[in-house]
Amino acid sequence: MSGDSGSGDSSSATLHSTDPVLREFAELVGETDGVAVAGGRTRWSAGGELDSAARVIQAPSGIVDYVPEEMIVTVRAGTPVAELHAELAAKGQRTGLPERGGTVGGALAVGENDVTVLGRGTVRSALLQVRYVSSEGRIVNGGGPTVKNVTGFDLPRLMVGSLGTLGCLAEVIVRTNPIPTVSQWYLASDADPFASYQAVMAPSAVVYDGTNTLVLLEGHAVDVDQQAGELAATGSFVEVGPPSLPTGHRWSLPPAELKKIATHDTGAFNALVGVGTVWAAKPQPARTLSPEVQAVHDRMKMQFDPTGRLNPGRKPGVNR
Amino acid sequence: MASFLKSAASAGSAAYDSFRRLPGRKFEPAETDQLVLDLQAALTEDRVRNDSAQRALMSHDASVFDGGNAGPVCYPETTDEVVAIMKIAERHDRAVVPRGAGTGLAGGAIPLGDAPVVIAVTKMNRVLEIDEDNGIAWVEPGVINLDLTNHLKPHGYHFAPDPSSQQVCTIGGNVANNSGGPHCLAYGVTNAHIMALEVVSPAGDVLQLGGLDPEPLGLDLRGVFVGSEGTLGVTTKVAVKLTRNRPGVRTLLLSFSSVRDAANTVSGVIAAGVVPAAMEVMDARITEAVENYVHAGYPTDAAAVLLAEVDGLESGVDIDADQIRAIGLANNATDVRLAADDTERALLWKGRKTAFGAIAQIAPDYYLHDTVVPRSALADVLEEVYAIADRNDLLIMNVFHAGDGNLHPLIIFDGRDPGVLDRVHQAGAEIITASLDAGGVLSGEHGIGVEKQKFMSRMFTDDDLDHQNRVRQAFDPVCRANPGKVMPMGHSCADIQQLRAVPRDVWG
Amino acid sequence: MTLGLDADDLNSCVQCGLCLPHCPTFRVTGDESMSPRGRIKLMREVQDEGAPLTAEVLRSFESCVQCRGCEPACPSGVPYGHLMEQTRETLADQKKMAPGWQRLALKPLKHPAALQAGTKALSIIQKTGLVPKRLGLPDDLPFRQEPLVASGDDVYLFTGCVMDAFQRDVHQAGQRVIEAAGFGVTPTGDLAPCCGALQAHAGLAGETRSLAEHMMRSLAPDTPILVDSAGCGAAMKDYGHLLGTDEARAFSARVFDIQEWLADNMADLPTVEPLDLRVAVQDPCHLRHVQRVHLATRVVLAPYVRELVELDDEGLCCGAGGAYSVLEPELAGQIRDRKVASIDRATPDLVASANPGCSMHLAGAGVPTIHPMELIDWALTGTR
Repeated sequence: MSGDSGSGDSSSATLHSTDPVLREFAELVGETDGVAVAGGRTRWSAGGELDSAARVIQAPSGIVDYVPEEMIVTVRAGTPVAELHAELAAKGQRTGLPERGGTVGGALAVGENDVTVLGRGTVRSALLQVRYVSSEGRIVNGGGPTVKNVTGFDLPRLMVGSLGTLGCLAEVIVRTNPIPTVSQWYLASDADPFASYQAVMAPSAVVYDGTNTLVLLEGHAVDVDQQAGELAATGSFVEVGPPSLPTGHRWSLPPAELKKIATHDTGAFNALVGVGTVWAAKPQPARTLSPEVQAVHDRMKMQFDPTGRLNPGRKPGVNR
Repeated sequence: MASFLKSAASAGSAAYDSFRRLPGRKFEPAETDQLVLDLQAALTEDRVRNDSAQRALMSHDASVFDGGNAGPVCYPETTDEVVAIMKIAERHDRAVVPRGAGTGLAGGAIPLGDAPVVIAVTKMNRVLEIDEDNGIAWVEPGVINLDLTNHLKPHGYHFAPDPSSQQVCTIGGNVANNSGGPHCLAYGVTNAHIMALEVVSPAGDVLQLGGLDPEPLGLDLRGVFVGSEGTLGVTTKVAVKLTRNRPGVRTLLLSFSSVRDAANTVSGVIAAGVVPAAMEVMDARITEAVENYVHAGYPTDAAAVLLAEVDGLESGVDIDADQIRAIGLANNATDVRLAADDTERALLWKGRKTAFGAIAQIAPDYYLHDTVVPRSALADVLEEVYAIADRNDLLIMNVFHAGDGNLHPLIIFDGRDPGVLDRVHQAGAEIITASLDAGGVLSGEHGIGVEKQKFMSRMFTDDDLDHQNRVRQAFDPVCRANPGKVMPMGHSCADIQQLRAVPRDVWG
Repeated sequence: MTLGLDADDLNSCVQCGLCLPHCPTFRVTGDESMSPRGRIKLMREVQDEGAPLTAEVLRSFESCVQCRGCEPACPSGVPYGHLMEQTRETLADQKKMAPGWQRLALKPLKHPAALQAGTKALSIIQKTGLVPKRLGLPDDLPFRQEPLVASGDDVYLFTGCVMDAFQRDVHQAGQRVIEAAGFGVTPTGDLAPCCGALQAHAGLAGETRSLAEHMMRSLAPDTPILVDSAGCGAAMKDYGHLLGTDEARAFSARVFDIQEWLADNMADLPTVEPLDLRVAVQDPCHLRHVQRVHLATRVVLAPYVRELVELDDEGLCCGAGGAYSVLEPELAGQIRDRKVASIDRATPDLVASANPGCSMHLAGAGVPTIHPMELIDWALTGTR
């Protein structure tokens, strides 16, 4: 269309489409029929029921490149998060991906944050670069390997939580951060969790189940000690080992709404104070988008997957 | 490498030719046409301006690019008025360009093509609500970044992104450019601090994107909107995340006899598992210019200075500060100074944040670049940057967000020197190429605007760009919002008439 | 057309925009044409590109308060004040700005007797309630004032024009404080009736120069000249630049703001019980942005009041701007509203302002103002 558009510039065009592992995955995704990528199947029901005609495939796995002092890791989507974190832990680092089983790609596609999101950051902020296979079977790259990056439209943000309905995640660059020197959980059954949350400067987690308040403090030993002292003013906290992870249906509420959690039909619950995530026995009532926002969603899907072949039957946000 | 550099440079230079320093484009005296009358009916007469002075001013931002072509300039005060403007623009088939404080350096707010309607949000400048229970504040897009932080101070919070222009840039502009700043090393860039947005779509619909809850329903359209440089719509309300003020802050100033030692210190600190709130490096030339302005006690005999800040609880920050000091000394720091109090800290930061303006003492024009490289490549790329300057017979200064690898090479020159602009653009293209070759990205925080469109294909394939363009299409199928930006020529919404040369003498 | 601006000065602006939030007219309008960056851009358009002097361009220039709050904010050191004064001078010479009535209005400033008579007349009219509020005059203009009497020749106290007519109390308080510090004072009175600041703002450079020369001839050499009006002090410190002679530079070097001078000479002031007041310091622009000696106000006030509080608006102009509040009542009022809001947040008992223009303008909005010298005098004498 234009002489100086750079459309013929082969120097970068070959950059990320020659990796044989990605090429192979692109061929596996193909160009026509319905296809879904399975990770660890730990959240397989997310987004609703998969169209039974869809082919289920696996993304490639393995850590591609890890330079601790860059605080980034390049990893293939099919890699289990546990495997990734074991590798990073050897260098004293971790990521914002949730440690509840499953793969890197699955965690990003679902977009669920770790219980310690206040300490380690959100999944959406952790993803720096994404390589996915498009509905046309093409390898597409979005974002870049640096934390700061404003280079065009932010495809990585679009992919987080999209349940693979816009592209099949193949390889990502995820931001890492140091594992704190000390991580200590505290438990009290007589605390006001909201007062506890306010009392300490930077808790990594405050979990409330209607009776018990669990608080995770992380950082330098002196900082943890100081905050533990502040915490003590809000309840009779005792040190406990890491609790088992909350399970159940995942609700997403504005943090202020947790003060009225009793008015919601959750059944047994674990709520993340200051965040708004609730794991509950019962599912969150269906929410809807405004017609105008839904229209943008529909156009986005049309743009990225006009034939509806990616993860058919599933919709982001449904059945968490 | 050498031949690639050369070809890249020439391509880059050609890319600039359509923009740079066109002969002063002037407007005909304002005609009152139906578009203006409709806009005035929707707003008020005094908040829709079509005079030549206003349009001349709105044709520029803080970038070096000349030749924008602003149409009527609107100063809406409400979301409804923005909706009305958008619908009127649609009726008249005219593009719109949103504008905050006009401090962008990539030309993102320069109206291109057929006299787009400019939507200046400076009058939408209220902090609407501080909602501590939800950890957010609702603000209008024209609120100034630093004003917001000052406003939040009595409540014990701040807005974490703090670009160097924070005393003037607007939250709307921060959203458009996914702004960074020194402290995003620890806190992340703007995208991590925006919970929800109210935007007016190019079709005039009011969209709520994101939400106050952690996983809003559907796709993360808020995440996509942030950093889209005004091409997906106009921001009318923003829910910004409140960041608690840290009780303990330590600011260190380390001096080095080489830029490499400073860069190595930065890598060493990160490798040691310390994540400072900020790590900023300035070379000798810029330090001298800054010191002349702020008198903060910056050493003018050091080859480079590193400004490092850690924050947190009082006890822990001393541990971090000691560690940074030790790593600095191990990397040949010639002096390490700890800011004694808030006043000294503020003065040091004032120096850093006004660095770009301070160079006018040396030469009247500057071209500020913005690329990001892996931290481990910092020292090598910097050496290459100095070599590029030498090759092109230019004076270059370096001041950068070292912790993020975000380089800001500053080429200073006098635009009245014949031929100097060619060399400036040549050097710019070479810097971009050197950064990308080192595994970096085109822009860390200034955005693409009109400045770097032509370089997009150096980082992305056609497939990559095609998919970016699909995002644009989903929001703005008719290219109403800020056309001609971000995407390179050859993609829809990019192929508008690029900055035309209009005869010089129209002003009469 | 040329505006007579120095090309290097004009080029020193890199259009970064850091000045915008420090400009009172931009703050209240959000309009680029009412910002320093915008005004400089338009100066360039007119001088370098031949843009016509449209009504909007003139409006941009004439709406400037000339507070020069942009100058300390400018990392490039753009001499904005001088650019604007030169622009106005050129436009005034061509009769494009500063209409005749404004020149006429400035005439009496150099004739103290006329001004005193006028003030007396105004005070009478004011009591009848016929003076429009928007003029922002003090509520009760003085009907009769005690004369000022010399007590020695250590320092001059510059008494000026408007201020001597409206607020001679301030001179009297200042004179008592300086005397209490152990120095003899000569009020300048008719020796040096007017500094020319308002004329300079209006672009009437010729008149300013002749007033400056008159003053330099009239005052004995070497004696420090203390000024208790920030605007006058700034103008007199600029004579060196205005006239460009060694003599003028030497004159400017011995001009001091009264607080500035006192801060270095207050060792012998008596120690007294501080006034039980929470006082907010309002920095006149020409003290803070031009003379840049505003910190002295805190030094001299600190021993004499219970508590000093700072305003949170970083010294943004109050909108008085010499004659600005009269010429641009609407903008001046909006700018004042911002200042008043900032004062309200500081919750002071009194606002100390070292410039008569600011005091009168703020008093017009019901803000209780007092000159720093009056505060110290009050603490020293026990009476207000």
